[in-house]
Amino acid sequence: MPVYLDNAATSFPKPEVVYRAADEFMRAVGVNAGRGAYKQALEADRIIYETRRNVAKLFNVKDVSRVVFTFNITDSLNLAVKGILNPGDHVITSSMEHNAVWRPLKVLEEERGISITAVHCDVEGNLDPLKVKNALTEKTKLVVLIHASNVTGTVMPIAEVGAIARENNIPFLVDSAQTAGLYPIDVETMNIDLLAFTGHKGLMGPMGTGGLYIREGISIKPLKEGGTGGDSILEHQPDSLPDRYEAGTPNVSGIAGLGRAVKFILDEGVEKIHNKEAALTGYALHKLSGIDGITLYGPKDNINRVGVISLNIMDLNPQKAGHVLDEKYGIMVRAGLHCAPCAHRTIGTIDRGTIRIGLGYFNTQEDIDCLLEAVKDIIKNKDIQ
Amino acid sequence: MFALLLNDINITFMEPCIAEPEKIRLKAEMSDDITDVMPYLNAVIGNAIFNKNAPLITFTKEFRLIVLYPKKLTMAKVVNQTDALQIFDWLKDLINETWDKRDTITPNYEKKHKPTVPQFYGWLPKTNCKECGEANCFAFAAKILQGQQRIENCKPLFTPEYADARETITEVLTAIM
Repeated sequence: MPVYLDNAATSFPKPEVVYRAADEFMRAVGVNAGRGAYKQALEADRIIYETRRNVAKLFNVKDVSRVVFTFNITDSLNLAVKGILNPGDHVITSSMEHNAVWRPLKVLEEERGISITAVHCDVEGNLDPLKVKNALTEKTKLVVLIHASNVTGTVMPIAEVGAIARENNIPFLVDSAQTAGLYPIDVETMNIDLLAFTGHKGLMGPMGTGGLYIREGISIKPLKEGGTGGDSILEHQPDSLPDRYEAGTPNVSGIAGLGRAVKFILDEGVEKIHNKEAALTGYALHKLSGIDGITLYGPKDNINRVGVISLNIMDLNPQKAGHVLDEKYGIMVRAGLHCAPCAHRTIGTIDRGTIRIGLGYFNTQEDIDCLLEAVKDIIKNKDIQ
Repeated sequence: MFALLLNDINITFMEPCIAEPEKIRLKAEMSDDITDVMPYLNAVIGNAIFNKNAPLITFTKEFRLIVLYPKKLTMAKVVNQTDALQIFDWLKDLINETWDKRDTITPNYEKKHKPTVPQFYGWLPKTNCKECGEANCFAFAAKILQGQQRIENCKPLFTPEYADARETITEVLTAIM
């Protein structure tokens, strides 16, 4: 029986209701939303709205219309970053960011002459909020931070950084790719102005879904323009949300699946999901740290982290080790730089990368035991050296 | 959890507002009859106008105009579909909570609230064309509310451009007169 430990890339399997919702939409409704006044089109609208409402509830967003759907979190981050920063602006971020943040910023550095301060994190990926405060300038127009590292699992001090941004009236954008659905997120208590999320990881929905929460009063230029349904007479993109940022046909079958997925999470409770993952993470960290030949990265305990664990086995190339884990033991992990070279520079693994274990809600202690046995076997037999 | 009076609201028709094409107007059907809650809604909604004989209850939610009938509703000046569905959620909660707390609310069967002259003037075309015989639209609004003018005398209101406003005004007048 294969063991899937790459939930940080995408969660798998999904709750049964998610498959059913996407299938039911395509078979029983199947028509385009917002494009017609017939009942079936209105039903498509209603499905989208219910997903939006579930997402808003999960993140404690009061006004449902402030949740905008995109096709993934990279879309959401590009929309926020490129829609806010203008020539000459300054942005503060961290040295643990994913390329979904880092590359758009580098493009804007070249094209719009923005300046970037990447606040340096320690070797476990921890960020000191004071460093963000000290990096503020008169030109700072955005603070963007990953909520939890996709390399080390380190959780960032979001509420503290959010408070600093709020005091200085600067929009605060959070990349929740590794936390949404798995870790409690409250845009009010955490002072989040812009929350980028993906549907297919911790939210347990289909790929091709994601979104952005935009706090009222924050102005973002749309990344694209086009049809939005009922207001066709207007020559320009409408001002009202969510339509302003949702040009073109949405991924309604995906959104239908996402709606049920988030409902599943709301029914289970984020706290319960988080506790289960924290217990598995604690178990894995404890057992792995007892094996000679394993190097673990990131926080040593499960207190301030999510279920993303990076490691290396002796001096083995992680790509090769990952391949053997799959081929010989049927264990699926991610290996390499995980689209986050900044983070690897921070933790000292840029030349090599790591093996990454991504735990999910449906993983069990037995899955981790399989990994432990396989790793011990590799170390003992030195199969791939 | 209390027993719900109203379970669902579904849009049956939707089109852009004529005067403000970036907004929409819509009709919707309600899954359950809300006649019994209307006097209680009339008591709790600040700007409600209730006609127990029709029966209907009309009020504004910010800039949106809402008319509730026993098993259907109309809304005008809605921002978009998301806005409409969000207002439906608000409305369902309001109706169900009001019904749940009806023992603590004194029902009001009166036409409690009559629009003010400036409010009514706001719904008119405001062309000051004088075709109605009045000096201006404000004067016309005052006369209407005093029952000394007929809405049919407002000629611009009966052109296609003002169809939305005409519908709202007709409903309000049905409720208060």
